[in-house]
Amino acid sequence: MPAETDMTKNRPTPPKFPPWIRQSWPQSGAVDEVRDLLRELGLNTVCRSAQCPNQGECWSHRTATFMILGEVCSRNCAFCGVGTGTPAAPDEGEPARVAEAIARLGLRHSVITSVTRDDLPDGGAGQFAAVIQAIRGRCPGVTIEVLTPDFGGDADAIRLVTEAKPEVFAHNVETVPRLHRLLRDARASYERSLGVLKTAREALPESCYVKSGLMVGCGEGEDEVWATLEDLHRAGCDAVTIGQYLKPRGGRAEVAAFITPEQFVRYEKKALETGFVFAMAGPFVRSSYHADELLTGTFRRPAAAKT
Amino acid sequence: MGKMIEVPLPDFGDGDAADLEAVVSCWPVTVGTALQTGDDLLEIVTDKASFVVPCPCTGILREQRVFEEDRVRTGDIIAVVEEA
Repeated sequence: MPAETDMTKNRPTPPKFPPWIRQSWPQSGAVDEVRDLLRELGLNTVCRSAQCPNQGECWSHRTATFMILGEVCSRNCAFCGVGTGTPAAPDEGEPARVAEAIARLGLRHSVITSVTRDDLPDGGAGQFAAVIQAIRGRCPGVTIEVLTPDFGGDADAIRLVTEAKPEVFAHNVETVPRLHRLLRDARASYERSLGVLKTAREALPESCYVKSGLMVGCGEGEDEVWATLEDLHRAGCDAVTIGQYLKPRGGRAEVAAFITPEQFVRYEKKALETGFVFAMAGPFVRSSYHADELLTGTFRRPAAAKT
Repeated sequence: MGKMIEVPLPDFGDGDAADLEAVVSCWPVTVGTALQTGDDLLEIVTDKASFVVPCPCTGILREQRVFEEDRVRTGDIIAVVEEA
């Protein structure tokens, strides 16, 4: 019998969280509007698929991160709550519907991610490019951030996305190298993810940003986080996010530690010292959390510095 | 006497809530407490975090309909508040 099972009620006991892992439950209103719009347009979000604890906050502000290419992932990472299996064929109408949702939500910055699609010859890169083009056509002036899978390391696929010139190209390294085998699907690797970022940096105009993210609280040491930040910076990353790993329902990896808010402050400071122009670290920071601030906030990189 | 408002657990965005469950962790307020809109009403926990459910109106908490360790879903009535 698992130690966490409460046999008197025949269900798992609720997890215990430190006081800083506490959010506001959304109130009705904007959340209902976002839900209804996504349902009407038949779109998926990583907010919902990954059981993101920020969903209430983000949706209350009419912001969501679209997850294209279905909600079934071809990989099975131990940290992830997204369903795994055999994905369906790409939906040709999806790019137009994503653009429609962005227009109706009135977004000024859009974030598009996807499940991993090892089953597709281009890994889904063509769908990313099509979505970017659809948003450019339907929503002029809206900035675009893509958070892509590793495309199996295929440089041509990566360049298919970068040629569409998203303002931000993001790919998450997820964790420090020592924990990759524990947390990520065997088809992913630390070196491959660094390669994706490097390829994107080389292919993108200087005016576009390259971004990555990692989870902490998985059993990594502080020195391993420092080394990973150095690697990401060397690979050409401009921006980085660091957040607490929280185990989703169905996830296999346990939380090893709840990182204190003070430690997150140190991580953010270290990232900026490493040379990133944008760093955001905190218990509830996720790849796309307040993503617009990279382009619109105090972290905007002066044009003169982009040489 | 003010209007009695049955307070449901608001939708987290899941619609049918088929894949989101929460468990009541504690009541930060007792029956009879005067509440303003937005005040902490109930604390619940999901797989990923603790959440505080805000009071949707100003009034007096008259009834708690769920209790510690109860499993709750979107739409479940969690409290009755007498509107001020």
